[in-house]
Amino acid sequence: MKITKEIIERIEGEAALEVEWEDEKIAFAKLKFFNYRGIEEILRKRPLYDALAFTPRVCGICSHSHALACVRAIESCFEHAQETITLNKKARDIREIALNAEKIHNHIKWYFFSVLPELEKIDNPSYRGDAFKKPRWFLAQNAVTETLKMGAIFSGQWPHGSFVAPGGVTCDPVSLDVLNARGILEKVIAFCEETLLGFSLEEFTGFDSAVQVMASPSALSWGIDTMIRHAFDRLGRSHDRFLALGDSFLYEGALKSAKTTVLPADIKYVSESLAHTFFEDPTQGYTYSKTATYKKSFFEVGPLARMMVAKEGLIRDFHRRFKDAALTRVMARVVECAHLLVQTKRLLENLDIREASLIPPKRNVHELSAEGIGVVEAPRGSLIHAISVNHGVIERYDIITPTVWNLGNGERDNLSVVQKALVGLDSLTKADFIVKSFDVCSVCTTQ
Amino acid sequence: MKANTKSTVIWIQGITCNGNSHSFLNYSNMALFAASFEMLYHPLLFTAHTLESLLDKPEAFDFLIVEGAFTKEARYLQRFGRSFPEILEPLANKARFIVCVGSCASFGGMFRLRDPRRISGALFNAKEKGGYWDEKSNVVNIPGCPAHPRWIAETMMALRERKTVLLDEFLRPKEIFAYLAHHGCLRNEYFEWKVDCKQLGEKEGCMFYEHGCLGPNTHANCNKILWNDISSKTRAGSPCLGCTEFDFPRRALYETHKNMSLPQTPYGIGKRAYYTLAGVAKSFKIERLEKKLIDEDH
Repeated sequence: MKITKEIIERIEGEAALEVEWEDEKIAFAKLKFFNYRGIEEILRKRPLYDALAFTPRVCGICSHSHALACVRAIESCFEHAQETITLNKKARDIREIALNAEKIHNHIKWYFFSVLPELEKIDNPSYRGDAFKKPRWFLAQNAVTETLKMGAIFSGQWPHGSFVAPGGVTCDPVSLDVLNARGILEKVIAFCEETLLGFSLEEFTGFDSAVQVMASPSALSWGIDTMIRHAFDRLGRSHDRFLALGDSFLYEGALKSAKTTVLPADIKYVSESLAHTFFEDPTQGYTYSKTATYKKSFFEVGPLARMMVAKEGLIRDFHRRFKDAALTRVMARVVECAHLLVQTKRLLENLDIREASLIPPKRNVHELSAEGIGVVEAPRGSLIHAISVNHGVIERYDIITPTVWNLGNGERDNLSVVQKALVGLDSLTKADFIVKSFDVCSVCTTQ
Repeated sequence: MKANTKSTVIWIQGITCNGNSHSFLNYSNMALFAASFEMLYHPLLFTAHTLESLLDKPEAFDFLIVEGAFTKEARYLQRFGRSFPEILEPLANKARFIVCVGSCASFGGMFRLRDPRRISGALFNAKEKGGYWDEKSNVVNIPGCPAHPRWIAETMMALRERKTVLLDEFLRPKEIFAYLAHHGCLRNEYFEWKVDCKQLGEKEGCMFYEHGCLGPNTHANCNKILWNDISSKTRAGSPCLGCTEFDFPRRALYETHKNMSLPQTPYGIGKRAYYTLAGVAKSFKIERLEKKLIDEDH
């Protein structure tokens, strides 16, 4: 049996892919992440609120998601210590606007900076990239910058803003700030309509057939075309099981789905494993990525999972035609981006700034001893922070990132999400793109 | 250098969260930057070269940008099967300038806390001289967690055009870091009259007294040039965390560290001067500053 080792680059860092080949097809694969930074250890014995400043620094591309998961975990500690935390609608809406800005920017950045150039390269192996060169790259970079500027009106800065505190948000915008945010968002919407989608948001979000998307020339239809040309409408299929533990405007409560059957989910069935890691065995281990399972089974998280549990029409049609192939996975991020733009516009138009931004907990944090869990639907899927605090000092801080769900390593008889998607492929070029179809974040995977 | 020749840039990463890369990608005049610089390699983007090809045949180039903390320990950091020194040193020897972006590359930053003896900045380990290197004459530090995109792009442009870039004792460009985060803060008047911010989430009050704001002790022009061209931590009601300083992150960031119930004095202001003035200011009750900024009764 042949074994090959490759480096997967440009995934917010890199990972090593070790592949076992049988009859020139991938029989088994291991994805190895090396750069562990020890954030959970650094947080131990520090004051609880320091986590609000430390955890955004888990990840440069989803720092707001970590801040939000952290504050929810802290609020959950207060709740478990018999104190009711009240979040005004204003605070909830502002949290969602800032989180949406992060997701919208992420999806635009990923599609234009990662998916399109990777597809160009597959089309033409001598392709040398478009970063800092091609007009379309600058247009996308500008859209990303504007999206985050809109969010920063509320979060102060991106990345690494600290705009949340237990009981609400720290900002207290005036109505003209909100109008400014609406104006900036319109620029992002114009970019997405003209360059990404080729349709107005209203038209696009009403689609329920893959055929409709192809009717207009756009960055999206070119990407779909190219993916189909290289068989990514059939490749990259995984378990067809999805999980969305955090809340969203697209569905109610925590949900899971097997194929198209959607059922309630409960975080209590989540378990984390150190199998195959250097933590468990410094000599036999081969990665710093932990694994997360739900009732011992691997589930895919992320935009595709969210669209599947929300029964979103267009993605359901892609899924009916192509199952959970790489094409459907990529498509789900773009479709989510469109819905997020509509939702964020709606939130800004209806934001009531008269309420208090924050209602602080009454209990002094130095007297707080409890455990708590915070869940957020981050750009790449369900993000979990779990804290154990003793008299305001962190005893244990545990983070399960979305990429741990998708990119951890399973066993030969129980393949992880990415492993299942890789088995059966006949080339490393395809494997490289399939891994990237999960929108890998290397730094999150090994915090 | 001929005016029409682009300066070449290689961007590499130590122990990092990628925050400086993503901050840099928010630069609002990116086409202008691209007219003067050619990015030979950036780890997150599709660029013309691979890191391995650049390492195999290192040639002279202009800017080595390093993001993330430095370490010689392969167990803390390896990329492409190479330890950090195996990536850094061949390139550092060929670079005209080495620009450390972010507090991790400058001082060690947050990730230094895991092993402060073996993880550091390029030339500093927190405030101590001697980080990864003891000396190197072509290093500029642009700390911040993250660094502001304008700090990175404009410093590079000034260096490229051979403009004088004055550096402070921590090798930070003075035109950026001679300012304090306090300068331009919308809550300055509350600071002058010692009106405390009662709780977070309001426009009124200063966060220096109870909420740990380090604005008056932190070198950075955040409130002059603003983040994402629009806001800042303090404008969004959140205390300055002191992220451009060698001691970032301090312990208990959301609490004001006090001595005999007095906060530390602002940077460069003596205790006698500050506490005398503070005492006088505090003895007056300024009614306007006790009210909401926008009074709905009038």
